Amino acid sequence: MNPQTRRPRRGAPWLIILLLPLLLAACAGGASPSSSWPGVATDGELAYIAYGPAIYAVSLVDGREAWRFHPEGDAASQFYAPPALDEEGILYVGSYDGDLTALEASSGTIVWTKELTGGRIVGGPAVAGDLLIVPSSNRTLYAVRRENGQNVWTFQSDRPLWATPLVDGDLIFLAGLDHSMYALDRQSGELVWQQELEGALADQPASLNGLLLAGTFGHSLNALDKSNGEIAWSVETSDWVWGNPAVNETTALFGDVSGVLYAVDEAGNSVWDVTLDGQIAASPATSNGAVYFVTEAGNVLARQVSDNSPLWEQTIDGQLLTDPIVVDATLLVAALNGEALLTAFNTESGAIRWTYQPAEE
Amino acid sequence: MWDLLVLDPMINGLLFAYDLLGNNFGLSIIVVTALIRLITLPLTYQQQRSTQKMQELQQSKRAKDIERKFKDDRTKQQEAMLKLYREEGVNPFAGCLPLLIQFPIIIGLYQALIRSLADAPLQLFELAGHMYDAIPSSLIPLNSQFLWMDLSQPERLFIPGIPIGIPVLTILVVITTYLSTKLTTPPTGEGQGAQMTQMMGLYMPLLLGYFAYTFAAGLALYFVTSNVLQVVQYAATGKIDWRGLLNITGKKA
Repeated sequence: MNPQTRRPRRGAPWLIILLLPLLLAACAGGASPSSSWPGVATDGELAYIAYGPAIYAVSLVDGREAWRFHPEGDAASQFYAPPALDEEGILYVGSYDGDLTALEASSGTIVWTKELTGGRIVGGPAVAGDLLIVPSSNRTLYAVRRENGQNVWTFQSDRPLWATPLVDGDLIFLAGLDHSMYALDRQSGELVWQQELEGALADQPASLNGLLLAGTFGHSLNALDKSNGEIAWSVETSDWVWGNPAVNETTALFGDVSGVLYAVDEAGNSVWDVTLDGQIAASPATSNGAVYFVTEAGNVLARQVSDNSPLWEQTIDGQLLTDPIVVDATLLVAALNGEALLTAFNTESGAIRWTYQPAEE
Repeated sequence: MWDLLVLDPMINGLLFAYDLLGNNFGLSIIVVTALIRLITLPLTYQQQRSTQKMQELQQSKRAKDIERKFKDDRTKQQEAMLKLYREEGVNPFAGCLPLLIQFPIIIGLYQALIRSLADAPLQLFELAGHMYDAIPSSLIPLNSQFLWMDLSQPERLFIPGIPIGIPVLTILVVITTYLSTKLTTPPTGEGQGAQMTQMMGLYMPLLLGYFAYTFAAGLALYFVTSNVLQVVQYAATGKIDWRGLLNITGKKA
C-alpha cells in the first residue's frame, strides 16, 4: 500500500479516543459538582456555613464575612456537615476526609484537629457533655473528648450514618441509613434499644412529649417511645421523608420529597397538609406560631402553624435543601448552586435583609 | 429526554434486578448487562454481517484493480473505493460501529450506577426523582459490596504484604477487551474502515482499562461482563476468529 494514503486517516480514531474519556467524565458525574448541600449552624452572632472547601463565619447583623477556615495542601478537604458549637465557644467541624477539627468560633483559629474516621463526615457532630458524638459514612459512630478529640467509644451500624445524633439526657438517639433507630448509652456507647423501620433514616430525629419522631424513605413518619423504641404511631406519606419534623407546641411539621407538607398532632392525626411546587428535603423551622420551610426549587414559604394560612413567600436562586434556621427575627436560608450562599429574611415580612456569597480568594 | 429514555430505565432496571437477586448489586449489573446485550443483539449482528461483507469486498478483484489503477492518486482511489462500497451496499465503518454504539450505553449505565449507589446526600436525593413507583423504597440505600469490591469506588484488591492495591478488574477489563476485539472482529484488509478497526482493537483495551482504573468498579464489572458475553455470543454463531487472537495488526496470519 502507498504509505501516503495511511497518514491522514488516523485522525478520526484518535479524535474519538481522546474525546470519549472527556465525554464520559463530563457525563458520568451527574448534574452538580457538589455531593451535598451546605450545613449551617449559628450562635446568635455568627452563622457558620460548611460548604465545599471551607467553613465560612458570617455576621448575622449585616452578612459580612468574619473569617473563613480554608485548609489547603494536604489538609484540603470538603465540608458539608453542619458544625456543632459548645458553650465554651468552640466550633467542631467534620470533613469529607473524615477529619474532625475544633476551631475557636470567634476567630476560626484551630484548637485541635484529628484524623478520625477515614470515611466522610456527612452528618454534623453533636455535643454531649464532655463528649462529642460524630457520625461517619464508614458506618461508625465515634464518641471523642471535646478537649482533644481522643477516642472514648465507638458504635458500629450496618450502613453509613448521615444524621446528626440527638442527645437527650443519658441517651443518644441515632438514625441510620440501615433503617434502624438506635438508643445508646451516652457514657459507654452501649446499645439500649434498636427499632427497625420500613426505610432509611437520613436526618436527626425530633422530640415531642416523650416521643421520638423519625421520617423514613419508606414513606412514613414514625413516633417511637423514647424509653423502649416501640412504635406509638405512624403517618403514611406520599414519598420519602428526608428532613425530620419541626415541633411547634404539640404540632409536628414536615415535608416529603414529592413536595407535600404535613402538619400532625401529638397523636399522629392530620392537622392539615398541602402540596407544593418542589421537593422538600429540609426540616422546617418554627417560631411564634409560624412555620418556615424551603423547597428544592428555591421557594421560601411562611405559613401559620394552626391553619396553614400563608404569611409570605419568596423565591431565590439555587437548590434549597439545607434546614432553615430562625434567629430572633431573622430566617437564614442556605442555597446550593445559587447566586448567594446564605440569605437572611425578615421573619415578619419576608423581606431580604442581606445576602452572603463568599468572595473568591 | 435522556433521562426518560436511557437513564431512568437503566436505574430502575438495576434496582428491579437488585430486588430480585437478593439485594446483590454485582449480580444486578451482570444481569442488566446481559439484558442490554440481548436488546442490542440485532444491531450487533447486522454490523457483524456488514464487516464480513466488507472484508470479502476488499479482497475482491475489483478492489485490487482500483488500488492498482489509482496507486498514485489517493483521492481518486478513495472515491473509487467508496463508490464500490456504495454499489455493494457496504458501510466502511462497520468494524467500529458496534463499539461506538456502546458509548451512549456506557455513559447511561455509568450514570445509572453512580446514581443508584448514591454514596453522597445529593446523589441519593436525586435518585428519589428517578425511581419508578413500583420500585420499593425499602431497597435504599443499596448495598454496594460485591465480593471484595465496593462497586461505587474504583476497585483495588489489597493483599497482606503488598503495599499497593492491585486493580484486578482493570486487568480483567484490558484482557477481555483485547480478546473480545481480536476474536470477534475479522481482519478487514487495508481500507479506512480496516484501519479504524485495527486501531480500536489496539486502543480500546487501554481506553476501557483507563475507565476501569479511574471510575467506579460497577462500570468495570459491566465491561468484563459485556466482553465475555460478546465472545460467547460470537462463539455461538460459529464465526469467531481464533486466528486473529495473536495477530496484532488485524491482518490475516
